[in-house]
Amino acid sequence: MLRKEAIEALAAARSDAISVATMQSSSPWHEAGQAEKDHLDAARCMGSASSLGLGLALANPGRKVMVLDGDGSLLMQLGSLVTVAHASPKNFYHFIFGNGVHESTGNQPLPGWGKFDFCSLALAAGYPDAVRIETKEQLKKELPRIFNIAGPVLISLAIDIEEWRPQFPGVPMSSQIQALRKTLVPPYK
Amino acid sequence: MQTKGEPVAHSVPAQAVVDEILRLNVDYIVNVPDSIQRTLLELLSRQEKLKYLTVCTEDEAMGINAGLYAGGMNSILCIQNNGLFACLNTIKAIALDARVPTPMFVGQFGRDVTKPPSESRNRAVRMLGPTLDTWGVPHYPLEGPRDLCNIAKAFERAHQDKGPSVVIIGARTS
Repeated sequence: MLRKEAIEALAAARSDAISVATMQSSSPWHEAGQAEKDHLDAARCMGSASSLGLGLALANPGRKVMVLDGDGSLLMQLGSLVTVAHASPKNFYHFIFGNGVHESTGNQPLPGWGKFDFCSLALAAGYPDAVRIETKEQLKKELPRIFNIAGPVLISLAIDIEEWRPQFPGVPMSSQIQALRKTLVPPYK
Repeated sequence: MQTKGEPVAHSVPAQAVVDEILRLNVDYIVNVPDSIQRTLLELLSRQEKLKYLTVCTEDEAMGINAGLYAGGMNSILCIQNNGLFACLNTIKAIALDARVPTPMFVGQFGRDVTKPPSESRNRAVRMLGPTLDTWGVPHYPLEGPRDLCNIAKAFERAHQDKGPSVVIIGARTS
């Protein structure tokens, strides 16, 4: 499916989830109007989306956290799958936009693409559930069920390779973090 | 006057460090295990006031600390000197550029406590201070019980500056 189609489906199903996006998922998420509230972009720290999302999920167990992660990004901190499973946040939903290329740097192929499988990696790391989604129709149909599963859940999205045209929203992480801290209050504070 | 061969860094009781931490507005300890802080981590893992999370890498610790902070919580990171070198990119992007308060305890693994770090033959020990200086990261020594006051200073500095700060633990906690 096209990235835009996945973004539209996720935006429609988001409700009041806190979101974290990274790399080439950030700009379309902003364009879909999803970055104005309760959102953080993992900028210039490729690989950190899952960790940022984990911290948010642990601090706010009453809110769902959806991480729009990149395949290349997750490979940079692959051990975070184990850390997420270890912390076991039930409100954590980890979407992997998988097209098999480093889109931001020129669509270079990821190492080993086709030999490994993110769902298998997540389950082996201790995620209680992992789902593979191939089409936008399947995504729209599955999202309500996915968000009702107690997390952490990894959802591997099959995304088409698109023309190389990297975009970054350019919103400072610092301002996003301060905005979140003003509005998110942990349950016991 | 110090005699050659006498320690210049002395063990600090782990309980004393815990007591200092508990005086601060801290919710989480996020750690990648460090042998210098072994006894401290043992106590922190068993106390009930703070949540304690062991993670796989120091990069993750940086991200999790930022997520916790954005979510309204405060944490202290416990890592080793080698681990700090490993996560310089996330210190740059998250603690510094994104201005996230990131108080860290960093153990000087490999240090000969009879020498100051600047005279260490161990590069990780010798280069920790200069590396932090290069990046503009404030750091405070914990070379003995007299330095316990630096824990609060480092924590407050991180939150005041909205950035990283380091307590360099010079000798194994006891």
